[in-house]
Amino acid sequence: MLDLRVRRVDADGVGLVVLGSDRVVDVLFDGRRIWSFWVRRDTEPGRGAARPVRRVGWPPAMRPHLSGTGSVTLRDHVSGADVWSGEVRFTDDDRRVDFVDRQGHPIALDKANRFSPVFSERTAADLDPLLDAMTELLEVLAGAGVAAFPAYGTLLGAVREGDFLGHDSDADLGYVSSRSNPVDVIRESFELQRVVAAAGYRTYRYSGLAFRVDVVEADGATRFLDVFGGFLDGGRLYLMGEVGTPFERDWLLPLGTVSLRGRDYPAPARPEKLLEAMYGPSWKVPDPAFKFETPRETTEVLNQWFRGTGHARRDWERRAAQRRRRPVPKGSSALAKQLRRGEAAGTTVLDVGAGRGRDALWLARQGFPTTAYDFAPRGLEKARRTARRRDLPLEVRALNLDEWRWVLSEGARMSRAGDGPRAMLARHVLDATDELGRQSLGRLASMTLRGGGRLYVQTWTGKGRGGAGLVPVRTKQVQKLVERHGGTVLDVSESPGGGSDGGKGSVGRVVAQWR
Amino acid sequence: MKQGLKQRLQRVVPGGGDQELAERVARLEREVADLRRHNLRLAELADVVQELLVPMAQRDQERVDAAIAAFQDAL
Repeated sequence: MLDLRVRRVDADGVGLVVLGSDRVVDVLFDGRRIWSFWVRRDTEPGRGAARPVRRVGWPPAMRPHLSGTGSVTLRDHVSGADVWSGEVRFTDDDRRVDFVDRQGHPIALDKANRFSPVFSERTAADLDPLLDAMTELLEVLAGAGVAAFPAYGTLLGAVREGDFLGHDSDADLGYVSSRSNPVDVIRESFELQRVVAAAGYRTYRYSGLAFRVDVVEADGATRFLDVFGGFLDGGRLYLMGEVGTPFERDWLLPLGTVSLRGRDYPAPARPEKLLEAMYGPSWKVPDPAFKFETPRETTEVLNQWFRGTGHARRDWERRAAQRRRRPVPKGSSALAKQLRRGEAAGTTVLDVGAGRGRDALWLARQGFPTTAYDFAPRGLEKARRTARRRDLPLEVRALNLDEWRWVLSEGARMSRAGDGPRAMLARHVLDATDELGRQSLGRLASMTLRGGGRLYVQTWTGKGRGGAGLVPVRTKQVQKLVERHGGTVLDVSESPGGGSDGGKGSVGRVVAQWR
Repeated sequence: MKQGLKQRLQRVVPGGGDQELAERVARLEREVADLRRHNLRLAELADVVQELLVPMAQRDQERVDAAIAAFQDAL
C-alpha cells in the first residue's frame, strides 16, 4: 500500500506515514482483532516531523495487557490487506501478550474503546440466548403495544451482513411510539420498563427514553440489550440517543423483516432510511472505529427532553466496580462520629451516598439500624455481605437523586416504616451531585425526617483538594437548601483542611432538623 | 481572533442591535431548554401519581407495600 506506511510499532504505540485519505486500520494480536483506529482522525502529527508522519498511542484500556511480547498485524479494514506485521517486545517479561477476561473469554475493544467479549469471538451456543432474548423481548414489547425492531449496530449488522457486527458488544432495540410529545413517550417508556421487569428481566434506566435489559448467556456472561424509544413529531423522527431528522412515517410502517443469523426480526419498512439517519450516507462501508457525529441541535434537544437522570453516574459506577473487591475501609468519618454523639441509641440512620459503606457499616456496628443508599450500589456489596455475616442491622438500597420517582417512592416507603427517631447522613453527596440532586436530597430529608429527625451534612467548600468528582458547596448553600425544604439549621461549622478527617480540602458541616 | 472581531464590532456599535439580538437569542435558548426539562419531571410526577396514588387512597397496607416494591423494582 503506497499511500500508508508503518514506521514503527512499539511499546508507545504506532507511527505511520499517511499520504492517502483517512481509513480504518485494524490492529490484530496473534491474528485476532483487538482494536481499530482511523489513520487521520485518531492520530496526531509526529513531534517535529513533516506532516504525513503521524502517531497514535495505545488506548489506556489496552496498556495493562501489554506486557511481554506479541505478534502484531496492522490490516486495512476494508481491503483486508496487511499493512504491517511483526513481533513486538512491549516489556522484558517472559510472556505473550494476551487479551482475555477473568473468565478466560477472549476480549477486544469495542467502538467506545472499552474491553468486552465481542460477537466475533462468540459461538452459536453463546449467541443463541441473546437471539432468544431479543425475540422474547420483542414479544413482551409487542404485548405492551409497541412494535420494536433491532436498531443501531444490530440493525446495521443485520442489513449489511445478516449477522452481528463482529466488533460490537451489545444488541440494540428501537421503537417509534404512536404518541407525539415527550411527556407521553417518557411515560410509555416507564411503563415498558415495568412490563419487562415483570417478565423477569433485570433492567437499568439510562434516561427518560432508554433503558437496558440484562441477559445472562449460556456461559454465565451478562450481555446487555438496550431499548431506545423514539417518536415522530412534525415530520421529524427523534430516536434516542442519536437521531433527530426529517422522516416519513411510511419509511417505518408497516414493519418489514430483516434476517439476523438466520432468524427473522421486524425491521422498519425502509431500513436504509433509518440507517442513513443513524450512520450517515456511508453506512454501507464497514467502520469498526465508528464515532457518532450527531448534530449539536439533536444532542441538545435529546439532552433537554430526556437526559440528566444520573449526574456522573458512569464515573461512580466505574469507581464502585474497581473497588468492589477491596475490604471496606475501617473506622468512620468525623461526621458519623458526630451523628453518634448527637443521636439516641437505636435511631434509624439513612446514609445517602454511602459509597463503599464505611460509615454505614460502622453505624450499624454501633447499634444504629442503618440503610445505605447509593446510585452505584455495587460499591456497597462488600459492606452488605460483612453486615449479613456479622448479623448487623444494615440494609443496602439503590437510590438515584436525579430521578424524582426514586426520591418520591422512597420518601413514601420510609414514611410507612415505623415511628422511631431518624437521622440522615449526607457526607459528600451534595457536592457530588447536581442541582437537581441537591434539591432531591432536601426533599427526601423533608419526607423522611419529619417529626424531629436530624440531617448531618458535610461538603467540600472549595479550598484545597476536594476529591474526585466533587464541586464546591458552601455551608450557606446548604443552609438555604435546608430552609427551602422546611428544615431548621441547628449547627454550622467549617474547617480549612478536612478537619479531623485529615483530608486536604476545606469542609463545611451543617446539622439541621425537621419538626 | 473571533473574539477580537466581536469586541471591535461592539465598540463600533455600542449597545447596538446585533448584541441585543444575540443576548435575546441566548436568553430564549435558555428558556426553551428550561421548558424542555419540565417534560421529564412532569412525566415522573404523573407516573408516581398513577402507580402509587390508587393503592394509597385505598388504604390497603399490603397493596401499598406491594405497589411501592413493584414500582422501585422497575426504576
